Amino acid sequence: MSLERKDEYDHGEWMREKNLTPVETTFLTVLIWMDKRFRIVDYLEILETLYYRVNMQMPKSHTEQYNLDNKFWYWYPLYALGSFSTIAYVVAALSGALLGFYYAPATTGDPTTAYNQLAFIMTELNFGFMLRSIHRWSAQVMVAAVFLHMLRVYFTGAYKEPRELNWIIGIILISLTMVFGYTGYLLPWDQLAFWAGQIGVEMSLSIPLAGEWVAQLLFGGFSLGQATLQRMYIIHVFLLPFVVTTLIAVHIGIVWIQGIAEPH
Amino acid sequence: MDSSTDDTDADEETRAREVEVPLHLYKVVTVFSTMFAVAFVVGGFIVLDTATQRARLDFGEMNLPLAILGVAMIAAGALVYAFATRFRAEGMGKPKDGSDEPSNNG
Repeated sequence: MSLERKDEYDHGEWMREKNLTPVETTFLTVLIWMDKRFRIVDYLEILETLYYRVNMQMPKSHTEQYNLDNKFWYWYPLYALGSFSTIAYVVAALSGALLGFYYAPATTGDPTTAYNQLAFIMTELNFGFMLRSIHRWSAQVMVAAVFLHMLRVYFTGAYKEPRELNWIIGIILISLTMVFGYTGYLLPWDQLAFWAGQIGVEMSLSIPLAGEWVAQLLFGGFSLGQATLQRMYIIHVFLLPFVVTTLIAVHIGIVWIQGIAEPH
Repeated sequence: MDSSTDDTDADEETRAREVEVPLHLYKVVTVFSTMFAVAFVVGGFIVLDTATQRARLDFGEMNLPLAILGVAMIAAGALVYAFATRFRAEGMGKPKDGSDEPSNNG
């Protein structure tokens, strides 16, 4: 028996002195019951401690500078969306690298080689269906998570001084994520991909002055063909991975240096 | 409706209920309720997909009880998440509700 005063872990005591409704009491009791058996919070707290150990922030956040103990915003669920996007990106990169062993960006033949390889991955390759599904789902999840992450940053005011640069990088990243999605969408070279490509060409051509130049550069011409698929492939598996990985590293590095923004 | 001038007795009814809990319990509530909410919503969509065969069945052919279960699970997930937001740690409050910080742009 310790001589220290009762701490906040003595749930039964303070729950009695609060005026809780039966639903609230049940809700809390169930969650405390879960917490005693599955100590997830403890492990997350270890991560939180690690975060502070390795953290060499330049301007400390207000709560850290004055050592206030209400750092509860790290526990807001929506603050996990950035990590969630990163995890989705890593999963997509790994599964995409494996898919690259079996895909070929060629429009020859009928149906085309690209589509044949896709059918091969989906129907014959061992774990191919799973591999492509993982790639597609992680891509969808990443787009959704990145968008929600941007909403969270906007509505908590995390883009404000001194984090303007990281907000701009974030906007570039969300745009490149969508380019990633679009180029990957065209790779199956089925009807869906082909007409999505047609829309892309026409959208490029609608740009004043630079339209034809943009269409040439991105789609390799004004009508879809081998050059289009080849360019989409190279953008998807060569150009964007380097650019986006670098930008994500810079993006996270700046968060590391500046610290997580507190809600304003 | 001008409630910004007198916020002592008027918003006792309008403001959502808040329950202050110890910080550790707040973490428990956040982590576990989020987990339950995610599991219910994702599971609900899976059940709904199963009932309607990914929305490819006609309206008459779908498994109605299972579809209702799916929708109910999604609603339950939302409910769990919404219910959990009434719990707050000490010193934590919505800034816009604080009496020392008027919400008139400064």
